[in-house]
Amino acid sequence: MSDLDDFKATYFDECSELLTELEEQFAAIEAGERDADRLNAVFRAIHSIKGGAGAFGFSALVGFAHAYETLLDYVRDGRIELSDDVVVLCIRANDIVADHVKAAQTGEALPAEYGMDEKARFDALARGESIADDDDMSGEHVEEFDIEFTPVMVNLDAMYDDEAAADDAFDIAPMQLDAGHWEIRFTPHRALYARANDPLLLFRELAALGELHVRPILEEIPPLSDFEPFAVYCSWEITMVSDNVTETMIREVFEFVEGDCDIAIAQLGAAPAAPAAIPATTIAAPVPPPASAVAPEDDLLALADDEVAHLLDFSAEPAAPAPTAAPVVAQDAFEEAPSLSFAELADTIMPAAPAAKAAPVKLAAAAAAPAEGEENGNRSVGVQSIRVDLDKVDRVVNMVGELVITQSMLTQQMDETLRARYTELVRGLEVLAQTTRGLQDSVMAIRAQPVKSVFSRMPRLVRELATKTSKKIKLETIGENTEIDKTIIEQLSDPLTQMIRNSADHGIETPDKRLARGKSETGTIRLSAEQAGGNILIIVEDDGGGINRERVLQVARDKGIVAPDAQPTDEQIDQLIFAPGFSTAEALSDISGRGVGMDVVLSNIKKIGGSVHVRSWTGKGCRMTLRLPLTLAVLDVMLVKVGESPYVVPLSSIVETIQCSRASFERVPSGGQVLQVRGEYVQVIDLAQRFQMTGEAEPENRFVVLCEAEGSHKVALIVDDIIGQQQVVIKSLEENFERVDGIAGGTILGDDNVALIVDVQGLKTSIVHKNAA
Amino acid sequence: MEALGLRDDMGGDKSAAAAQNSLQLIAFSIGEQTYGVEITTVREIRAWNGATPLPNTREFVRGVINLRGTIVPIFDLRARFGDGQTSPTKNHVVVVMSVGDKWVGILVDAVSDILTVSRDDIHNVPEGNSIDTELLNGIVTHDSRMVGLIDLHAVVSGAKMDG
Repeated sequence: MSDLDDFKATYFDECSELLTELEEQFAAIEAGERDADRLNAVFRAIHSIKGGAGAFGFSALVGFAHAYETLLDYVRDGRIELSDDVVVLCIRANDIVADHVKAAQTGEALPAEYGMDEKARFDALARGESIADDDDMSGEHVEEFDIEFTPVMVNLDAMYDDEAAADDAFDIAPMQLDAGHWEIRFTPHRALYARANDPLLLFRELAALGELHVRPILEEIPPLSDFEPFAVYCSWEITMVSDNVTETMIREVFEFVEGDCDIAIAQLGAAPAAPAAIPATTIAAPVPPPASAVAPEDDLLALADDEVAHLLDFSAEPAAPAPTAAPVVAQDAFEEAPSLSFAELADTIMPAAPAAKAAPVKLAAAAAAPAEGEENGNRSVGVQSIRVDLDKVDRVVNMVGELVITQSMLTQQMDETLRARYTELVRGLEVLAQTTRGLQDSVMAIRAQPVKSVFSRMPRLVRELATKTSKKIKLETIGENTEIDKTIIEQLSDPLTQMIRNSADHGIETPDKRLARGKSETGTIRLSAEQAGGNILIIVEDDGGGINRERVLQVARDKGIVAPDAQPTDEQIDQLIFAPGFSTAEALSDISGRGVGMDVVLSNIKKIGGSVHVRSWTGKGCRMTLRLPLTLAVLDVMLVKVGESPYVVPLSSIVETIQCSRASFERVPSGGQVLQVRGEYVQVIDLAQRFQMTGEAEPENRFVVLCEAEGSHKVALIVDDIIGQQQVVIKSLEENFERVDGIAGGTILGDDNVALIVDVQGLKTSIVHKNAA
Repeated sequence: MEALGLRDDMGGDKSAAAAQNSLQLIAFSIGEQTYGVEITTVREIRAWNGATPLPNTREFVRGVINLRGTIVPIFDLRARFGDGQTSPTKNHVVVVMSVGDKWVGILVDAVSDILTVSRDDIHNVPEGNSIDTELLNGIVTHDSRMVGLIDLHAVVSGAKMDG
């Protein structure tokens, strides 16, 4: 039972990746990139979702996905044109699939008619173009799926990629091929299996040498009635691309099975090294073997089973080879008529399809393995990945954090006399410091993920919002490959959703209002991510009406957030939308007013060590900037002293430090002080005063730490002493206490004491609020 | 065998009933006063070793300490009762307790005893405006000494400065 749960969990993980992929592909398709690759990626994603859903018995999902997939299939082979309408329908379909997946995951049932309209439209579209396949579309999908579909990753690209390539490819002389292109024909004997050797293991070993395509030759498999259990019917053709492989190396792989099999190895472009068991045309073919037959070794077994299963199904009609197994046909046609293009090849297979009740057509596609291009891409970079429980990574991150602390403690303990006496120890500590740093970077890299996973959820949100508000809204995303810590990404979804809601609901105007203002009918929300030093900036920008300051100020005054006589600046007003309990919605719609306001955005972002800044241009738009740390785990800081207590200031916000005696302070009429730095006047905050710590340092021995708060506003913090720079692990104060104004958290120093982290932005804002109140 | 089992069961019942009705307290002192908390809430007792002061908090918040990698706030119980801050020495004690899902430390003069008292002996705190009413769950007499039962939730609330 728990195994099944595990499988389900994995399936839902995969679904969420696939749905992300769908969003991405359709973003590109919508933008006009309507090429076969994208379509095939979409098809594959839907097919995989459906396959898994079938295995777990999510019949509603399977039914819908199947109808959708059929539509995509028709689009793919040109029976339905990929018009804008179809794209819109597909995007809607993606949302429905996502809802079905979610329903399956949470166990909540969707209304029975959910998605039926769309499904009906798929059917209508399909019927409009096709003649014979009505029964394929008539709603028997649920009954059909478990026979017809297997969750095998399929190669759909091959049809397309090779179609184009093949036409020219046959004209290319074999000599033009890479030297590292090998063709291997591997025919095992019965003895090989008798000695318990497994071809799969050999292929794995071969795969270690270079990029591999393995194609099973299945012609020899007899009808079921003639089947001998211990006979060997299957052989393989292997194409290998590798630059530095010699024939000897390949032979070595087969060393253990020598004598128990026939092996023919030929280097493409060279004369066949062994008596050609492989027809010359095959060797000469520069493109990988026929569309349907390319299989990566991982899928080989599944694939073979699959094909054998189907062969058995149809073996009762040995007279009709065409529908029995597409790969076989492809191979036959290929050998007999080498000049036949893949397009024609496909045609020769297709007409046979209806006779075999549609299934073989699917099989032809399904039997094919992952896309050539994709495989090349993956293999050549050699990227392999594993799925790891985040908890395990967290444990490593925490331990590395502790290691960093211990290392810095050791370094602190080494005073000058010790340094002079134990040079070896010092050297050892330096190495330790370097290794720790490297280890830490690597661990952080494990947790880093592109923000894509959050960004990709937003197009759907914007579509829904546009529909609900009857506005026209376009979403642009930039920098979605920017990487950020996984835990931060997870915390980002809600604030971003809220910010985009805010933009769509309050920012973007209705189409007629926009036209009246001389703007285009369609509003744009731009979501971008970029790395800026030790921070990630995430910006949500819209070209709407901007913040209605009068209204904001009015509401703030009504709610007592701002004193009636205070005259806050425009910028201070803009920041008011983050005040707790603040809502600008004139009437609570079902979009905003769900109890999640911008104040929640602010507190969520603060929780992950970030800050939010808003800037608005009346009538032109609004920009909200999130500044987030790259990682939550470790922070580069400057250790300072305020009174007798240690504090740390995040290094990323520090611009410079100045000795008080060299700084030029100016008095302002209110009695406060400002600092003049290169012609700029900067607000001064005396931390000892602000934190009510009694500082004993002489004024001239104190230091100014010039910090940059959000919106490139500077603030000068006065501290009693600067101790040095170091790395610290951020610890939560709220875990056992509560939020303290001006403090972003705590950290543990090498001497086991706690130092507090100064919340630069928080200090600045609280002062603004105080002034405003 | 059976009779023996039965007797055991009866014995078990008896002690369980006794346990249900009795309460084990950790008792600690602040000056002449004795206070107690239920023993199950106490996580550890450690000597005072300083704390990092927290700004913008009331005077009874002594600051935070590092408890094996976790930051734990320390409350000065004397100051909480409005008696002025303790001037802690190495002989002062921090009692670390769990309140809900949080861990907090209470600074006291000394831990004196582990007491077993009967629930029946717990009296209500006399009504009044005194801070004791606010911070105590009840009063119990032990060896003719009065022990105030600390209401931890009340002690740790209101730690932030107003305004």
